[in-house]
Amino acid sequence: MGTEAKKTGFAGIKKPLFMVALIALLFFSLITAMIWGAVAIDWRSIFTILFDALPVYDSPAIADINPVYGDILLQIRLPRVLLAAAVGSSLAVAGAVFQGLFRNPMADPYVIGISSGAALGAVFAMLGGFSLTLGGFGAVPLFAFAGGLTTMIIVYSMARVGRAVPVMTLLLAGIAVSAFLSALVSLLTYFAGERLHMVVFWMMGGLGGATWRQVTVMVPYALAGYLCVSFFSRELNAMLLGEETASHLGVNTEKVKKILLVGASLLVAAAVSTSGIIGFVGLVVPHFVRLVAGPDHRFLIPASALLGASMLIATDTLARIVIAPSELPVGIITALIGAPLFIYLLKKRRKLRYFGGGG
Amino acid sequence: MGLNIDIQGLKFTYDAHPVLDGTEFVVQRGDLVAMLGANGAGKSTLLRCISRILKPTGGHILLDGSELQQLNSKEAARLMAVVPQETAADFDFTVEEIVMMGRFPYLKRFQKEEQQDRDIVKRSMEMTGVSHLAARSIAALSGGEKQRVIMARAVCQQPEVLILDEPTANLDIGYQSMLLELAARLNRDYGVTVIAAIHDINLAVHHFNRFILLSGGRVLATGRAEEVITAENIQMSYGVPASTYRHPLHGVLQVSVARGHPRGDCNNDGRTIHVIGGGEEALPTLELLNQKCCRLSVGPVSAQDSSCRFAHFNGFPVIIVPPFTTMSSENREEHLKLMRSAEAVVIPPIPFGEGNLPVVAEVGTVLKEGKAVYIIDLEGVKSRDYSGKAFPLLQNLVGEGAVALKNFGELPKVLFPDGGEEDERKG
Repeated sequence: MGTEAKKTGFAGIKKPLFMVALIALLFFSLITAMIWGAVAIDWRSIFTILFDALPVYDSPAIADINPVYGDILLQIRLPRVLLAAAVGSSLAVAGAVFQGLFRNPMADPYVIGISSGAALGAVFAMLGGFSLTLGGFGAVPLFAFAGGLTTMIIVYSMARVGRAVPVMTLLLAGIAVSAFLSALVSLLTYFAGERLHMVVFWMMGGLGGATWRQVTVMVPYALAGYLCVSFFSRELNAMLLGEETASHLGVNTEKVKKILLVGASLLVAAAVSTSGIIGFVGLVVPHFVRLVAGPDHRFLIPASALLGASMLIATDTLARIVIAPSELPVGIITALIGAPLFIYLLKKRRKLRYFGGGG
Repeated sequence: MGLNIDIQGLKFTYDAHPVLDGTEFVVQRGDLVAMLGANGAGKSTLLRCISRILKPTGGHILLDGSELQQLNSKEAARLMAVVPQETAADFDFTVEEIVMMGRFPYLKRFQKEEQQDRDIVKRSMEMTGVSHLAARSIAALSGGEKQRVIMARAVCQQPEVLILDEPTANLDIGYQSMLLELAARLNRDYGVTVIAAIHDINLAVHHFNRFILLSGGRVLATGRAEEVITAENIQMSYGVPASTYRHPLHGVLQVSVARGHPRGDCNNDGRTIHVIGGGEEALPTLELLNQKCCRLSVGPVSAQDSSCRFAHFNGFPVIIVPPFTTMSSENREEHLKLMRSAEAVVIPPIPFGEGNLPVVAEVGTVLKEGKAVYIIDLEGVKSRDYSGKAFPLLQNLVGEGAVALKNFGELPKVLFPDGGEEDERKG
């Protein structure tokens, strides 16, 4: 009885502790990412530059700092780090939602083919060489975004039976459409000629050349998608017990599915169109959070957002520094680090008990 | 508390196959109803229509006179809770979290669970006896524990109507009774209307007081057990011959399905055996000989005797004597006739009273005429001889040529030595 009580006591503070740790981790990775790079900037200078950049405060110490540092930090590193945070958290949140919605541990943000659709759009734009721009964005992100959302709509309408959309059908339709679109992407890539390099690089995913313009679009986007999804956390919990059970508990399952699907798809489409196909973040992060804190989406979603942001900031920093001054596509790093980490977790916990497999 | 449920001309078609075909019945406020019927009779479909998982293709479901479809999801979940046969519970939710989900229909989008909700969760868990599991993961529980947790969640919804869809199908007999007793208690103490689809009729009869028998998507019978659970209705709905009887321990109506003769073991057709007396003690012997395809006759027994029911059920001749009387001379004649027409007479391990002594004497008569007589468990008679005279009489019979057997299992060997050898060769 004593141990039982202790357990409950620890369980009571486990989640808040974990949340504090995640916030600290995010802060730490933000600062580290700004320190490290082709040019190292010490943390004192970073704080000085950042505070000075605030419109309400002029730092007297700014005079002692090389103005190039200020440019590097404010024009290159800061937008890149913020974009990584937005993209990472979007992917992790979308992954958590898709895994919950499909009650499938293998689901990731790309499971219903949004990435393939976006890739097709992007490759099409690259090969077409369109000079279209809209709101400061070039043809590639615009086409990618459009491709991703179109795919979501196609998959959704293919899976619809009457007014209901069975998740299993949705998953299968997604896999089929995804395979078809990937084949088209490969076909186009085959004929890419001298642009092949560009296409392959885009598909590996990366945050190079991040701009404030991207940040100002992506961050509100990520926030909006995040809010939309997190409003339905409690419904998503009930959906984990099966749609019928959720419906018995008073969840309007068809409506919730539609909202979550659209919300998560927007997150994914936005993330993919700004940074290409970055794998593994959306798969691994929600699993990691569940292992520590259980499946409750009211905690899982904010925690995944924080951890996803930290993970992508960290891996992107590695991508910048391992072969500096040149850089690796971040997608390679996330998979290189994410996959072994995930396998380690699997081995350690034997199985993902919270996800099927007969308990 | 409780709601009226009025089902009017309900239709549901699955792939052009009508599952519900104009189902009609009324469940009164505070009823405790078991829905019976064969697989495919439409029980589950009907319950899934009521719980709004399926949309009927025709007809109406009225809750206290208003159309069920008019309610929104949360309104419906405040009125109605469902305990399914099985719930996917592979996730690491704690029992308490699962039960708290029962509060979902009462919480607004941004509302946190309040003390009141926590109190209801606590009470629901106490009532269903799962409080000690509160912090455990639902995935780690046994089927019976899990089902009680689901029940706690249903209680937590504070419903007016509780729907149970084969809730006990995967439970052992202990949990079966416990779960249905819980449903009955909700009905009794809180006036919750309960509708449960139950496969096991004999289990249902113990816990419910109204019955609806479905057959081919229609209501075949509805009412009390005696009105619904009849041999004819069971035959019509389940397509098997059955007979009903009162449970010997508490008199509750029970159903037993007739069994056919095992094929290949029936080379004893036409062998006629008479079995003396009755009671439950004679049943194993009767059943064994019946399985060996003997043509049996039974007697003398009283009309309420289980051996008498056995004889009626299987269509064997039986001598019935009124209870507490000795045999009339007519009965005696008839009994002698049956014994004489049989190849052999068997005395199963029945208790002996004064009333049985004339019967034993008559067995002596046919024994002298050359009839084969088998006495099962002669030694045991000492403890079952309430007349004090039967044991010596039976010993005398053995002296005159009756065969004493240790138990009824030895009967086939002595009755059909050929059949026995054949069996061994086959084996």
